[in-house]
Amino acid sequence: MSTLHVLSHSPFTDSRLDSCLRLCGREDAILLCGDGAYGLHSPALRTKGVKVFVLAEDMQARNLPLPDWADSVDYPGFVQLSIDYDKVNTWL
Amino acid sequence: MKFAIALYSAAHTPSSRRALLFAQAALAGGHEIVRLFFYQDGVYSASNNIVAPQDEQDIAHQWREFVSQHQLDGVVCIAAALRRGVLNAEEATRYQRSAVNLEAPWALSGLGQLHDAIQGADRLICFGGP
Amino acid sequence: MSKSLLVISRQAPWSGPSAREALDIVLAGGAFDLPIGLLFLDDGVFQLAPHQDAKAVQQKDLGANLQALGLFGIDDVFACSHSLAERGLTPPASAQPLGNEDICRLIDRYDQVITL
Repeated sequence: MSTLHVLSHSPFTDSRLDSCLRLCGREDAILLCGDGAYGLHSPALRTKGVKVFVLAEDMQARNLPLPDWADSVDYPGFVQLSIDYDKVNTWL
Repeated sequence: MKFAIALYSAAHTPSSRRALLFAQAALAGGHEIVRLFFYQDGVYSASNNIVAPQDEQDIAHQWREFVSQHQLDGVVCIAAALRRGVLNAEEATRYQRSAVNLEAPWALSGLGQLHDAIQGADRLICFGGP
Repeated sequence: MSKSLLVISRQAPWSGPSAREALDIVLAGGAFDLPIGLLFLDDGVFQLAPHQDAKAVQQKDLGANLQALGLFGIDDVFACSHSLAERGLTPPASAQPLGNEDICRLIDRYDQVITL
């Protein structure tokens, strides 16, 4: 089973990304959205080796460059990811 | 694919808008939404008393339009709603409150509806926080 | 066969209604005889700390709800060992402590998950 973890809090003010990285599996992926997009600046996320997606509109709004270790998705892409992974775990 | 979508945040939050856009994309992609379930601060996204500034998105209005247009099952958790002062006519009368701020297409019901939606869907997607 | 749901409760007991509302999801599922698991993670483990006094802040005691879990058929109750250790808490009798790898496997075992 694979899980898509969805994060919308900035990792610089909140510990959700830390906890997620402790607990996520090799087959899992992380979708950064909202202020979670600032996770693109997170060294911990880059080195974890899990698949990383970012919601395009949030990257664009914040003028964040897309690093080569992440992929951006639009809403149809978000829907598709929620199907590709067995379940979605949003860190509310 | 059948989706159950649960929203935990108010209409002015980015996550409420994000949930709406996800829901729209899911239907546009030919998928089905089994139920929308609004819980915790998500009940505020169903309020019909929100006055959005003219130059801002009126997400509560857009949710209502979306649910009505597609005849979706839009459920607001009654316990969460009462605690936050989101009441339909029946509850306002029952508790003798002066304002009704929840109307169709939204229905008040219990957490059983969330569990029922989870059982009937292929995917549960939650939205909340910022 | 019913789909299973894991509820991950991350909030401290009196930081708003979140802790109680997470428990309400679990108890509602139990009332419908659904396969529900509950994991206390991060500040959520503070809900398990002993000898708390809800009345001091005019709040409802969550302990009664936690005790009701068994009555509602919710036996799969877990607490994150890392979160407990970080906060200087000893593993409670009411929740099975799990390490990070075990939690990863736990999440995999459930059909759906809600993290509050």
